[in-house]
Amino acid sequence: MTPPSDATGGTRIPQVAFRSAPSLAGPVFEVGSLSVFYGDHEAVRDVNMTIGHRQITAMIGPSGCGKSTVLRCFNRMNDLVPSARVAGKVHYHNEDLYGRDVDPIEVRRRIGMVFQKPNPFPKSIYDNIAYGPRVGGFQGNLDDLVEETLTHAALWDEVKDKLKTSALALSGGQQQRLCIARTIAVKPEVILMDEPCSALDPIATAKIEDLMTHLAREFTIIVVTHNMQQAARVSDRTAFFTADVDDAGVRHGRLVEYDETERIFSNPSDQRTEDYISGRFG
Amino acid sequence: MSSTLSSRRAASGSPGFLKRSQPRYGEKVIKVLLVAASLVSVLTTIGIVIALIPPAGEFFSKVDFGEFLTGTNWAPLFKPASFGVLPLVGGTLMVTLIALLVAVPLGLGAAVYLSEYANKRVRKIFKPLLEVLAGIPTVVYGFFALKAITPVLQSIWPAGDGPQIFNALAAGFVMGIMIIPTIASLAEDSMSAVPRALRDGAFALGSSRMQVSTRVVFPAALSGIVAAVVLGISRALGETMIVAIAAGGQPNLSFNPLEGMQTMTAFIAAAGIGDLPTGSTGYQTIFAVGALLFVMTLVMNLLSIRLVRKYREVYE
Ligand SMILES: Nc1ncnc2c1ncn2[C@@H]1O[C@H](COP(=O)(O)OP(=O)(O)OP(=O)(O)O)[C@@H](O)[C@H]1O
Ligand SMILES: [Mg+2]
Repeated sequence: MTPPSDATGGTRIPQVAFRSAPSLAGPVFEVGSLSVFYGDHEAVRDVNMTIGHRQITAMIGPSGCGKSTVLRCFNRMNDLVPSARVAGKVHYHNEDLYGRDVDPIEVRRRIGMVFQKPNPFPKSIYDNIAYGPRVGGFQGNLDDLVEETLTHAALWDEVKDKLKTSALALSGGQQQRLCIARTIAVKPEVILMDEPCSALDPIATAKIEDLMTHLAREFTIIVVTHNMQQAARVSDRTAFFTADVDDAGVRHGRLVEYDETERIFSNPSDQRTEDYISGRFG
Repeated sequence: MSSTLSSRRAASGSPGFLKRSQPRYGEKVIKVLLVAASLVSVLTTIGIVIALIPPAGEFFSKVDFGEFLTGTNWAPLFKPASFGVLPLVGGTLMVTLIALLVAVPLGLGAAVYLSEYANKRVRKIFKPLLEVLAGIPTVVYGFFALKAITPVLQSIWPAGDGPQIFNALAAGFVMGIMIIPTIASLAEDSMSAVPRALRDGAFALGSSRMQVSTRVVFPAALSGIVAAVVLGISRALGETMIVAIAAGGQPNLSFNPLEGMQTMTAFIAAAGIGDLPTGSTGYQTIFAVGALLFVMTLVMNLLSIRLVRKYREVYE
C-alpha cells in the first residue's frame, strides 16, 4: 500500500498509485432511477449506477448530498427509518432488492455494513464476532470461526489473549476493525462502509485501508468517504455526488459522475467533480 | 453587546481580570435548596430506622429472635401468645410471587413493545394510559380483587373448591396489574436510552427485531430493567391495602394460594389501627415485623445491585 501522501486533504489532485481494475464477473448491483424520500423531501434523486463484483467503489461528495442515504439502500437499512421511502430500481444479482418476497434480514446477511462511529456491542470481543453467526443459527465450531475471522481481519494477534474482555476496552481503530471482523463473520458478499475511518487517526486509518484492500479479494466493498486520498488509494471506481438546489430551494442529492477512480481523479468530465476533488468546493 | 465585550477586553490588561465581578447568590440558594430536597429522603429513611430500633429491640429482649424467625404460629395478641413470624412472611412472599408472575412478563413485554416495536403514535397513546393505571388508588384495586376477580375465579374454577372469599391469588394477581406500569415505564426508559448505533449494528448483521431486543437492547439496558423489577418487588412487598382487603386477616402458613393469608403489611396495618397500649409486647410486634420487612427490602436491593454488577453490559 502507498502511504498517505498528504494527510491533511490537499488542494491538489493526489498523486497515488491506483489498484488495478479486476475483471468483471457480472454486476453485483444495478441501480436505476433511484430516489429516496424522507417524508416529502426527496433527499436523493435519479441515481443510476452499476457496482462490479469484488470491486471497491468509493462514494464521495459534500456533506448532506445523500451518500449515506444511497449506501443504506443497498442493505435496506432505510427500512428502519420510518419516514424513508425508496423508489426506483435496486437490483442485486438481477433480483429486485425491494421485491415483495425479499426478506430484509436475509439481505443484510449477504450485504453487511460498517458504520462511521465504531459501534461494537458492549459484550466481549468473542461475543461480538460470534453475534452474527449466532443470530443466523450457525451450527459449526464457533471458536474456530472466531479465530478464523479475527485472523482474516488482521486482529487476531492483538486480541487473542483477551477474547473474553469487553470490546469497549479496545482502541477506536481496533474497535472499528472488530466491527469489520464482526461483519465478515457472517460471510457476506458485500460490505458497505459509511465513513469507516472518520473517527480514527491516520495510523488506524492506514490499517483499515490495508484491510479493505486485502478484503477486496473476496468481498465487494462500497465505501463512503470524505477523504479524497482514501478514495483514490483504495477504490476502483468512484461516484461523486452533490446536492442541487431546486427552484423551491429544496436540496436534492444527485450522482454527478461515476467512473474509474483513476479517471475521476485525473481527468473528470464534470467541472463540479474537478472543483470538489481539487478542494475548491464543498 | 459589543461594548461589553470591548470593555471586558480593555479590563484584561489589569491583574485578576479573570475573577468574577459579582458573587452569584441565586445559584447558591438553588444549590442549597436542591441539597435540602435530596436530604429529606435520606433523613426520612434514617428517621424510620431510628424509630424502629428501640421498640423492636425491646421486643427481642422479651421474645427469642430464633423463635420469631422460625416459629410457625403467629398469634401475638392471644393468651398464650405465639410470635412465629413465618406465616406473615409466607403470606407476603406468596402474594409478591404471584404479583411478579403477572407483572414481570407483562411489564417487560410492554416495555419491549413500546421501546422496540411501537411507532411514535402508539407510544404516545400507550404511555399515558400506563401512567393512569399507576395512578389508581390501591383501595380501588383491593375491592376490584375482592369483588370482581375472586368471584370470577370462583365461577370459572374447573375443579375442587376454588378460591376462598379471601385468597392470595386474587390479591397477588391484582397487585401484579398494579405494578405493571412501574416496571414497564422504568424498563422502557432504560431500553430507549440504549444508543441507536447498537441497534443499527445488530440489524446490519441480519438480526430480527426480536433478536435485537433480546440480545442487544435487553442486556445493555439490564441495570435499568433490574432496577425496574426491584422497584416493582419493593412495591409488592410494601403494598398493604390490596392484601388487607382481598387476602384476608388470618395468618396462615400455607402454599395454597387459594387460601386467605395475612401479609406482614396487612398485620402492621391491622394492629396499628387497633388500640394496643404503647409499650405492650403486642405494640412492639408492629415494629419487629416492620424492621424485618425493612431488612428484607434492603437485602433484596443489595442482591440486585450485585446481580446488575455481574451481568450488565455497559455501553460507554
Ligand atoms: N433520518 C432522516 N430523516 C430525514 N431526513 C434525513 C434523514 N437522514 C438524512 N436525511 C436528509 O437526507 C439528506 C442526505 O443525507 P445523508 O445523510 O444521506 O447525507 P451524506 O451525504 O451522508 O452526508 P454526510 O457526508 O454529512 O454524512 C440530507 O438533507 C439529510 O438532512
Ligand atoms: Mg453520511
